[in-house]
Amino acid sequence: MNILVCVKQVPDDFAKVHLGENGKPALEGIDKVVNAFDTYAVEMAVRLCENHGGRVVVATIGAEEEVRPSMVQMIAVGANQAYIFAPNTADGDESSVAAGLAELVKKTEETIGESFDLIMCGKESTDEISSQVGAMLAEKLNLSFVSSVIDVKPAEAGLCVKQETEEGSASYEVSCPAVVTVAKPEYDPRYPNLKSKMAARKAVIPYLSDALTPVQPAVRCMNYQEPAKREAGVKIQEKNAVDAVARAIALMADDKVL
Amino acid sequence: MGYIIGEEAKDLLRDVKEFCEKEVKEQIKEYDVSGEWPRPIYEQAQEMQLHMMDVPEEYGGLGLDHITQAALVEQMAWADAGFAVTMNGNGLALKPVLISGNEEQKKKCSEMIVNGGYGAFALTEPDAGCDASNGKTTAVREGDEYVLNGRKCFITNASVADFFVVTAMTDKTKGTKGMSAFLVYKGTPGLSVGNHENKMGVRTSTTSDLVLDEVRIPAENLLGEEGTGFVTAMKTLDLARIWCAVIGVGVAKRCIDEAAAYARQRVQFGAPIGKNQAIQFKMADMEIRTEASRQLIVHALTLADKGLPFSKESAEAKCFAGDSVMQTSIDAVQILGGYGYSREYPVEKLMRDAKIFQIFEGTNEIQRMVVGRSVIGKI
Ligand SMILES: Cc1cc2nc3c(=O)[nH]c(=O)nc-3n(C[C@H](O)[C@H](O)[C@H](O)COP(=O)(O)OP(=O)(O)OC[C@H]3O[C@@H](n4cnc5c(N)ncnc54)[C@H](O)[C@@H]3O)c2cc1C
Repeated sequence: MNILVCVKQVPDDFAKVHLGENGKPALEGIDKVVNAFDTYAVEMAVRLCENHGGRVVVATIGAEEEVRPSMVQMIAVGANQAYIFAPNTADGDESSVAAGLAELVKKTEETIGESFDLIMCGKESTDEISSQVGAMLAEKLNLSFVSSVIDVKPAEAGLCVKQETEEGSASYEVSCPAVVTVAKPEYDPRYPNLKSKMAARKAVIPYLSDALTPVQPAVRCMNYQEPAKREAGVKIQEKNAVDAVARAIALMADDKVL
Repeated sequence: MGYIIGEEAKDLLRDVKEFCEKEVKEQIKEYDVSGEWPRPIYEQAQEMQLHMMDVPEEYGGLGLDHITQAALVEQMAWADAGFAVTMNGNGLALKPVLISGNEEQKKKCSEMIVNGGYGAFALTEPDAGCDASNGKTTAVREGDEYVLNGRKCFITNASVADFFVVTAMTDKTKGTKGMSAFLVYKGTPGLSVGNHENKMGVRTSTTSDLVLDEVRIPAENLLGEEGTGFVTAMKTLDLARIWCAVIGVGVAKRCIDEAAAYARQRVQFGAPIGKNQAIQFKMADMEIRTEASRQLIVHALTLADKGLPFSKESAEAKCFAGDSVMQTSIDAVQILGGYGYSREYPVEKLMRDAKIFQIFEGTNEIQRMVVGRSVIGKI
């Protein structure tokens, strides 16, 4: 099975991001990591290939030097090959990113000379959290699509995928090729071992500088606003717990919270 | 400033740091309380290959340079000293094999470690601690076999080891020249693990007695020649002491980080306590000692790498780093005040962990003997 995982590099989601003087998120000094959901997708893909054969290709859109460490990391945790594509748009909206990825899929298939049976994306990226790109990509490629997948197994007609739902999960059979977006499975992605990391650092990761057609995004972000600062609130300063609880309940009753 | 390392090493250090912060640092607390050996964490660490840094590249190892290794081991010790001691225990056991073993022995023990096994180095006995030459364990040659009898104590990793390097007297009349070193594998009849130590610190490292009762091993399990066991053990300790110092530095660095974080946020008399010169000077001394320890380590490693004599320098590094981490941990507890004394905060553990670095792999009195004698020369 040939699997392509679309990977996005994002600012470390543990770091607090504020707006800079230009009104945009100030990302200097914040570590760049692979979007957590994409790491789940890569782990799922690698496990699938380890158990049933196949290969995992990862690809990303970004500036070569900036995103290479993330691609190295994905090779270190089991991806067989990585490609970096120069951006097709600056400040692209979801649709233009999906258009870029659709082209990326085709170009990668041409490069390796084989087509993909499965294309995986994270269900969302931890910086933008729009959850749209995977679905739009499936639409643009005209392929079957399942979102929030937490498990994938080969099945007669293609793949059996388990989707996370509000209440539990649902299983589907999908024909290949298909696009799925991945949620947090039961397991955690592996850490790279030292040897694989050293080997991955030496990997040749092709940079395709003009493979994607430039796109003008139809939706443009005008400006960002930080969430309103929390107001001062009320301090409960009673000395013992019983009095403090009584005061808290009284305050909530006054405000008709209770 | 830490060790000066290249881009690749920085990359590896980042991964190890992430692993230590996410999988070790917090998880280890309950094991420190219970004294249980944290097998699941160690299995994960093995997957990352943190247990095999001493295995030479030709036997399936990583081929890391020693300064890179030091940076990684320091990071592991920062998360938990017992974790680093456990992983490093493999290196301690493998060193005598690499120093005196033949090709087959080197290959076999290296493979055991690479495949997730553990090694243990058994020199200390109830009556032979600092005076390691006073061992009572015997090995008697009978045909193609040696028969070993005796009791070892305080053996790191004994309860989980797949192979043991055991020193035993093959000729009691010859003193240290009558000591030999042997490879004994887990499961050999007569070999058993005795009393487990309920320790003050490094509680996530297992330390036990090792009992040898009519243990028969093939004669080919002898490491090097008969009578070379003491020299093998001393050469092993010369090297191992540097790693002991590295682990101590990791603990010291954690003390510094915890104390600095606390000094920034704890307000007394209307200002963070870190604004007091008394606290700043304490922090400065903690940092100076720790950085000096690192540089003694680098010096000893550089000499060893160049094939120059380094016994004195490794003793200096071990002794200084051991005394330093002890003092630094006491200072960290002091900076946290009553909270430093509480088990709710991490520094009391660091103080318990720190003490071992003045004791094992040669007490600091022994290190001072080595350095002092070397300075004075023959009298
Ligand atoms: C957690 C832990 C792990 C260990 N792991 C291992 C291991 O894996 N393998 C192994 O073989 N051993 C191991 N040891 C043993 C360790 O190396 C010994 O405990 C150490 O060498 C000291 O021996 P001792 O405890 O018998 O102390 P003793 O030798 O009884 O010393 C007691 C005190 O007297 C001092 N002293 C002794 N002789 C002199 C002298 N001539 N001049 C001045 N002072 C002196 C010592 O410095 C010390 O302060 C471990 C010990 C511990 C606690």
